[in-house]
Amino acid sequence: MAPGNYVVLQGARNFRLRIVLSTLSGRPIKVEKIRSEDLNPGLRDHEVSFLRLMEAMTNGSSIEISYTGTTVIYRPGIITGGSYTHNCPAGKPVGYFVEPMLYLAPFSKKKFSILFRGITASHTDAGIEAIKWGLLPVMEKFGVRECALHTLKRGSPPLGGGEVHLIVDSLIAQPITIHALETPLISSIRGVAYSTRVSPSIVNRMVDGAKKVLKDVGCEVNITADVWRGDNSGKSPGWGLTLVAENKQGWRYFVEDIGGPGAIPEDMACGLAYQLLEEISKSSVVGRSQLPLAMVFMVIGKEDIGRLRITKDQVDERFIGLLRDIKHVFGIEAILKPVNETNSDDLILTIKGIGFTNTNKKIA
Amino acid sequence: LNGNGSLARKWDIGKLIYMENINPSDCIKRWRGGEEALSEGGDEEEDGDFFKKSDVSKSSSASDEDDLEKFKPHFDTFNNLVAKWNSAEGLRRRFIGAPKVSDVDQG
Repeated sequence: MAPGNYVVLQGARNFRLRIVLSTLSGRPIKVEKIRSEDLNPGLRDHEVSFLRLMEAMTNGSSIEISYTGTTVIYRPGIITGGSYTHNCPAGKPVGYFVEPMLYLAPFSKKKFSILFRGITASHTDAGIEAIKWGLLPVMEKFGVRECALHTLKRGSPPLGGGEVHLIVDSLIAQPITIHALETPLISSIRGVAYSTRVSPSIVNRMVDGAKKVLKDVGCEVNITADVWRGDNSGKSPGWGLTLVAENKQGWRYFVEDIGGPGAIPEDMACGLAYQLLEEISKSSVVGRSQLPLAMVFMVIGKEDIGRLRITKDQVDERFIGLLRDIKHVFGIEAILKPVNETNSDDLILTIKGIGFTNTNKKIA
Repeated sequence: LNGNGSLARKWDIGKLIYMENINPSDCIKRWRGGEEALSEGGDEEEDGDFFKKSDVSKSSSASDEDDLEKFKPHFDTFNNLVAKWNSAEGLRRRFIGAPKVSDVDQG
C-alpha cells in the first residue's frame, strides 16, 4: 500500500491524533501536503511543539520534517512517560497538548507526570475542567482510574501564565472492552464558573445566567464559583464556564466556553446552557468531544467486540475522518448498525479491538 | 462507484465511511440526503455540480468542521439554539425524574 513501509496520510487534519495512532500501533506514518496550498505552508509552531512533547515522552521516536514543513515522517518509539515540563507556545492552550497525552499515558513504561505551562483556556481547545470532568471519566470507563489533572495556576489568554499538572498513575495492559448500548439518564447538572483577575461578581452573573435556562430542565443544578486571585491567577484577566450533565453510571456530557472581549457574562452562560441542551440531544452515551477518545480506546482494546451507542448526529466529518485514519493505521473497520428500537434512529458502533498490549507490561 | 442514477438510493453509512474517493462532508450529505427528502435533484451525482454545491451550501459548516483539531464541536448560532430549546420538553426523557413514566423505558 505505501512505499517504504509508511502509512501515507495527507493533509493537516487530525494531526495530533494521527501521531498518537501511529505511536499506539507502532507503525511509521508519513503525513504529506500539510497546508501545501496555504500562503504560509507547513507545520505550525504548536504542531512542532507537540512533536517535541512526543519526542520527550517516547524513546526511540524519530521525526523528520521536510524543508518546507509540509511533510513529516514519524517513526514511533516506545512510550516511556516520566516527569517532564512542557512550555506551551502562545498560540495554543495547554488543553491542546494534554488531550493527546491522555491517549498514550495509560500504556507507558513509567507513570506520566507532566507539568504544562501556558494559557489554560481558549474558545476552541479543551479547557481544564473539560478534561477533568469530561475526558477523565471516559478513561475511567476503560479502566484508567488513577488519572488527575491539577490546576496549579490559571492563565487566561492572551498572556497566559498558567500551570497544570497531569498525573497518570494507572498503567494498564489494555483498555477494558465496553458495551454501552443504552443511553443513560441524566441525574444532575454540575458546573464550574471561574474568573481570573476580574471582579468576582462576574462569576455569580454567569451562574445566574446558566441557572435561568437550566431551571426548566427539572433536575438539580449545581454550579461552583471558582475565583482565582493573586499570583496563581496568571497574567491576564478572563472568565469562563463549564457545564457538565452527569449520570449515575459515570458518563458525562459537557460544554465549555470562555468570555471574549466585550462579552456579557449572563449572555455567554445562557448561550452555553442552551449548548448543553443541544449537546445532550446530540449525544447518546458520550458527547461529541469525547467520542474520539472512546473510539481509540475501543480500537486498542482486547480482541473482543466493543459496542457503543451513538446518535445519528454524531456521525460527522470528524467521525468519518477518524475512522478512515484508524483504518489506514490499524487496518480495521468499524461497523455501524441501527439500534433495534422503533422510536430511535441511534446507531451502534461496533469495533473489534486489535488486541493491543502495552509493550512495557510483562505478561505473566 | 455504483451511486449514479438511483435517486432514492439509500446510502449505507457503514460503506460510505470507507469510500476514500468521497470526502467526508459529501458522505454525510449523501447519507442524510438519501434518508431525508432529496430536494436537490438528480444533478447531485455529477462531479462538477458536486464541487459547486459543496462550495456554496456546505461552506459555512464545512469551514467549521474543517479544522479537525478543534476540540469544541460545532454549535448552531445562539438565536437558533434559543428557538430550538425554548422549552426543554423534548429532553425530558433523558433526565431522571421525568414525569412521564411511559417515556422512560425507551431511555
